[in-house]
Amino acid sequence: MTQKRSRMLGAVMAGVLALSLAACGSGSSNSSSDTSTTPTDTTKTTTDNGNSNSNEKITITFQNIYPDTTDPKNQMLQKIVKQYQTDHPNITIELDSLNTDQQKLKLKTQAASKEVPDITIVNPAAQMQPFIDADLFAPLNDMIEQNGLKDTFQKGILDYYTFNGNVYALPDGNNIGVVYYNKSLFEKAGVKVPTTFEEMVEVVKQLKAKGITPMAIGEKDSWTGSFLFMNVLLRTNGGPGFLKDVVDGKKTFEDPAFKEAVDAFQSLVQAGAFQDGVTSFDYNAGENLFKTGKTAMYFMGSWATGGIETSEAGKDNNVGVFKFPTVNGKGNPDEFMLAPGSAFAVSKNSKHLKETLDFLNYFMLNYPKETFEAKGAVGIAQTVDGDFKAAGYSDMAMDVLNLFKDVKGGDLAFDNTMNPGTAQAHLSSIQNLFVAKKDASEVAKEHQSAYEENK
Amino acid sequence: MNVLKVSRWTIAAFVLPCLLLYVCLVFIPILVSIYSGTLDWNGIGASKFVGFANYTKMFTNDSVFWPALGRTFLLAGFSMLVQVPIALFVAILISRYVRKPNFLVSSYFLPVILSVVVIGQLWKTIYNPASMGGMINQILIQLGLDSWTHSWLTEPKVAIFAVILVSLWQYLGYHILIQFTGIQNIPADIYEAAKIDGAEGFKADRYITLPMIVPIFKISVVLSFIGSLQSFDLIMVMTGGGPAHATDVISSHMYNMSFLSMKYGYGSAIATFLVFVCLLATLIINFLFSRLDKRYS
Repeated sequence: MTQKRSRMLGAVMAGVLALSLAACGSGSSNSSSDTSTTPTDTTKTTTDNGNSNSNEKITITFQNIYPDTTDPKNQMLQKIVKQYQTDHPNITIELDSLNTDQQKLKLKTQAASKEVPDITIVNPAAQMQPFIDADLFAPLNDMIEQNGLKDTFQKGILDYYTFNGNVYALPDGNNIGVVYYNKSLFEKAGVKVPTTFEEMVEVVKQLKAKGITPMAIGEKDSWTGSFLFMNVLLRTNGGPGFLKDVVDGKKTFEDPAFKEAVDAFQSLVQAGAFQDGVTSFDYNAGENLFKTGKTAMYFMGSWATGGIETSEAGKDNNVGVFKFPTVNGKGNPDEFMLAPGSAFAVSKNSKHLKETLDFLNYFMLNYPKETFEAKGAVGIAQTVDGDFKAAGYSDMAMDVLNLFKDVKGGDLAFDNTMNPGTAQAHLSSIQNLFVAKKDASEVAKEHQSAYEENK
Repeated sequence: MNVLKVSRWTIAAFVLPCLLLYVCLVFIPILVSIYSGTLDWNGIGASKFVGFANYTKMFTNDSVFWPALGRTFLLAGFSMLVQVPIALFVAILISRYVRKPNFLVSSYFLPVILSVVVIGQLWKTIYNPASMGGMINQILIQLGLDSWTHSWLTEPKVAIFAVILVSLWQYLGYHILIQFTGIQNIPADIYEAAKIDGAEGFKADRYITLPMIVPIFKISVVLSFIGSLQSFDLIMVMTGGGPAHATDVISSHMYNMSFLSMKYGYGSAIATFLVFVCLLATLIINFLFSRLDKRYS
């Protein structure tokens, strides 16, 4: 018995020893690499650093939202990364490509355990706030001064990513909300591009009478309906800043402008503007209805341009764009829903912070040129040197680019302005308008109580 | 006690790895979420201890919680009172009338191994409005029942039943398999003896099959109940809890709160509540079945 026990003990001890050895092994290799990087970080300049470290293998994790290999952005990403790895043989860029929702969830989980990837994707303004409060990102102020990166960005765009005077992320896009329409379907129904919201409702009725679904929307992803609703609100409020006024305590959601927006929005829904079963269509399924020519209009951010121009409906310049019209004679069509894009942020706790910053600098410098060549440069956040027309961009793309020239301010999406709790309540409240008629004051009250509860 | 003639230490050593895994993967997370449930925490930043405030809010001031809980129990009820009995009935029929039942049972089982995402997308297409090629609505129109057509997944009153139906359909084969196996394990000589005594067909089922598969039936009921309480994926794929919370169940509400509204503490409180409901329900079911067991043994 005792003999057996001692043999057992021996086996266990051997196991423990093996484990501890393994632990020591990884620990010591870690510490040796640490000691080799720290001195170079402090003493040498950028270029020296690259040379002296060339023997050390560095892996940078790059979480991104371009998983679709047919998407021009994915090709651009692959190309820049490949080039950078060829120039810096010791650096490996590990791509973690996820779709938007997965990425959001993964990042939140990673953030909870403070294991943010070296480069990740965040959304502007209010959506970034919790991450900033948790102090997870490295400031990019010095990095954007290098190689003149800062000047490539459009004026004011970086403000949405700036907190306490520090820039924390660099956007991949800057878009506006526009209405795409199918020219041949408009012709078939004998309607013209509406110049007021009331005309738009009329157009909806006429299209409906001809058996054409007037508008597509992917309302299962409830932000799509909110984006449209906020544009109505931007008009009825007579200009931007409604939500900001609410936050500042100057207005409440029970303001007449808000109720008017709810009523106007409902008149559109009740006129039968949207496809049947609207809340079970996700973003892609909704957009596909328009892309395949099944619906006549589609309200979306200008990021959809690239996908639409190569779609079935977009052939032969069949798709045009127009500005969201005035509502009850209020508002200015030159004020748009603004959608500063998702942005690249760098983890503060990155093991190779310096190399990561250098890479991101390189990446963003090459971003405009490469996206321009991949025909994806409509609505990016940086200025592009190049003639879009000559490069073979479609007429629709040119129309969208021209709309950008008219932009005179506007509002951000609801979830970029309000905290997540209020935003979720808003999203489901607006989603409800697609399936049930509600009293505007009731909707306003729902919003106000959700806002006060989450303040 | 020590029939295996090995020391307790050896037994302990062999049990330990599994026990450790179980503790690490089940108990500790539960304890952690009980703790997080007492926090006001967005999941990434600083947290604040608020005691039972999350629970008070959950029970008294959350307009989504109670309806979501109701729908969860609705699903569980349908699952236990409709799905499992149907499965039992089908299993009895198969074992009695089908000579080579394996093919049939496997095909009923097929939806279980399909990914929920595939099933969700499939049924979404079936439920689509007729204009988008939805099968059910088109059949209804062909039969002249235009007034019966619905946009099944988007009408708040209908949507939850549409989702429940899919969930029942998917797991029917699972319960058929479990109960079919149970019936197969009943010795044939009992039926033969009963036959001599004049009990045949459904009479034999009433007095032999039902009492003898009570333990198996219990497993089915517990599994279907717990499964319904945790149902999440199908709802996310088909409706995302919408329109406007009309198909939210307790676990999708928990997800929305934890990850979309970024109220991680509150979400954990809901999770903790769910754990206790599951425990309680298992206890109740066990108690009911132990009485059944006693009656028949």
